[in-house]
Amino acid sequence: MEVLKSPLSASQKGKLISAGYTSINLLSSVSPSHLALELKISEAEALEILKTVSDGSRSESTSTSCTIVKGAQSAWDMLQEEETLVRITTSSSDFDNILGGGISCKEVTEIGGVPGIGKTQLGIQLAVNVQIPFDYGGLGGKAIYIDTEGSFMVERALQIAEACGDDMAEYSRLYRKGFHSHEVKIQPKDFLENIFYFRVCSYTEQIALINYLDKFITDHKDVKVVIIDSITFHFRQDFDDMALRTRLLGGMALKLMKLARKFGVAVVVLNQVTTKYSDGSFHLALALGDSWSHASTNRIILHWNGNERYAYIDKSPSLRSASAPYSVTGKGIRDSPSNNKRIKNI
Amino acid sequence: MGALKSLEEVYHIIDANFLQFCASRGIFSVEDFLVHDVSMLMASADKLSNSDRLKQGINQLVLITETYHQPWMNGLMLLEDREQNKHYISTGSESFDVLLQGGLREGHVTELVGPSSSGKTQVCFQVASNVALKKGNVVFFDSGNSFSPTRIKQMVTHISGSEENKVNGGVEEAMRHIECHAVFDIYTLLDLLHQLKLNLKSQSQKKSTELIIIDSISSLIAPILGGSNAQGHALMVSLGYLLKDLSHQHNIAVLVTNHMVSGEGGSLKPALGESWRNIPHVQLQLSQHHTTTNIYGVYILRHPYMASGKSVNFMIP
Repeated sequence: MEVLKSPLSASQKGKLISAGYTSINLLSSVSPSHLALELKISEAEALEILKTVSDGSRSESTSTSCTIVKGAQSAWDMLQEEETLVRITTSSSDFDNILGGGISCKEVTEIGGVPGIGKTQLGIQLAVNVQIPFDYGGLGGKAIYIDTEGSFMVERALQIAEACGDDMAEYSRLYRKGFHSHEVKIQPKDFLENIFYFRVCSYTEQIALINYLDKFITDHKDVKVVIIDSITFHFRQDFDDMALRTRLLGGMALKLMKLARKFGVAVVVLNQVTTKYSDGSFHLALALGDSWSHASTNRIILHWNGNERYAYIDKSPSLRSASAPYSVTGKGIRDSPSNNKRIKNI
Repeated sequence: MGALKSLEEVYHIIDANFLQFCASRGIFSVEDFLVHDVSMLMASADKLSNSDRLKQGINQLVLITETYHQPWMNGLMLLEDREQNKHYISTGSESFDVLLQGGLREGHVTELVGPSSSGKTQVCFQVASNVALKKGNVVFFDSGNSFSPTRIKQMVTHISGSEENKVNGGVEEAMRHIECHAVFDIYTLLDLLHQLKLNLKSQSQKKSTELIIIDSISSLIAPILGGSNAQGHALMVSLGYLLKDLSHQHNIAVLVTNHMVSGEGGSLKPALGESWRNIPHVQLQLSQHHTTTNIYGVYILRHPYMASGKSVNFMIP
């Protein structure tokens, strides 16, 4: 909003503009004493100006409720908004259950585990599942896949996409007989077309790319998930200055959270494991250290339990810690077969 | 205060001549005058022809500046201020309140430290829900995308359900008292806090803010701290003083969370280093006892008038 259009007196407007304050936004961070000094007016008058201006801009932005801080939202409004959000399914119902319905948009979710546990599989599965159309309870979005390790296999993505397409066809045959019978089935190739793939070869490239994502998502508003496989790879080598690493990672975490919040996309960060020495013994922990452990909103650890794969919620502000079995099949991530058997037996 | 020029109209002794004399020594504003050595200025004025008049001007300026300090208070007045304006805010769990002799104190900056998933955010939610149910306003600055309205709703329902028969509108009203702002860099946070301060100054008493929560402060500061970055350090300290000022002037309890880093010998210590350490009045360390239960432990690391080292366990619903 421009100063000229604000509800101030003409002389005040003149003083503001001659001091260089052409837009009201410029006034938001100015202290009254500073303004008084610059405009050569009394502090009381400066306070009056700032008050009028902030009232005006507030009524312009949010008319529903007056908040104490500009741009804030009350918890109630946020709750209403959150209840309408659709989550991204993992294709395993047990896994979805402990996540409260799937991977949440607007949040950063970190998934870590030992090699071969299925991190990349889960990443590809999410990149496909995000494209399930609204009619089928999905998001109808697109995916960004950032590959730092070179482990993204396009043949595998095709397999998972085919299986997903088959599942959707079956769903429509079962639940809406004759309704959309002649509906065009989404081709597996269409799934692949909607995955934007970036290959990253060094940590500087990784930082540059994450800075660029803001612009990319502005241009591609239908992107609903960003998958980084893995965040760790380039940060585990070539680093002498560990303080620099902590700073870079901290900054990157904030940028990812900002993306998640600003565009309502789900950010999924895959992480490797490392051994950690504590209480006189070594045990497995996610890589990148203690500071990084604060970076993600949700933290899920994938681990082996006997012959079964399990997902465990290590950290979440809203979910209870819980674990669930899952399996990796030819079709992608699915429920654990032993679990199904158990249900059938009951 | 402002430029010396602005005083010209009020005090006739400060005339163009005097201003020129000051300007020749690099003094343009009252701040410049304050950091300048007065006796040096007097000595240099002596050498000039109109020294008497210049000296009068200098004395006048000294008098003006002397009236600008904060008024003094005696111990009794401070105690009265404590008792009347600085209330305790209940944390919502009894043993926690007993440990702190009543809860979080208005006028204090309280810091929660602990490793990841030690219950820091949960304690923030619980205190916020508790204040909101008593119709106090809460401003929540969220830097980790961890603000979960669903979880707040659970807590509000839990607290109100156990105390009195709740009406359905009560939950909505309480949740309207909590407002959340996502912040992802320290500049935005400083901006918002300045704005908040301004609003509080000009606001009538009917809508009072009782609690400010920043979860977490360390994730905002960590990326700018360290190396040869002296500016990051300055930003951190000015943020600390702004929080202290807000809490003292407007009787607000400030709650911030900080993470932990490994110190010497692999033991954990609060992050952000020595210069942050003297900013919070109260520092509490949290830990989770077993990953499967919801029982947490709290331990006093630092408190202005209580012995450190005491600890209790508490439960989060």
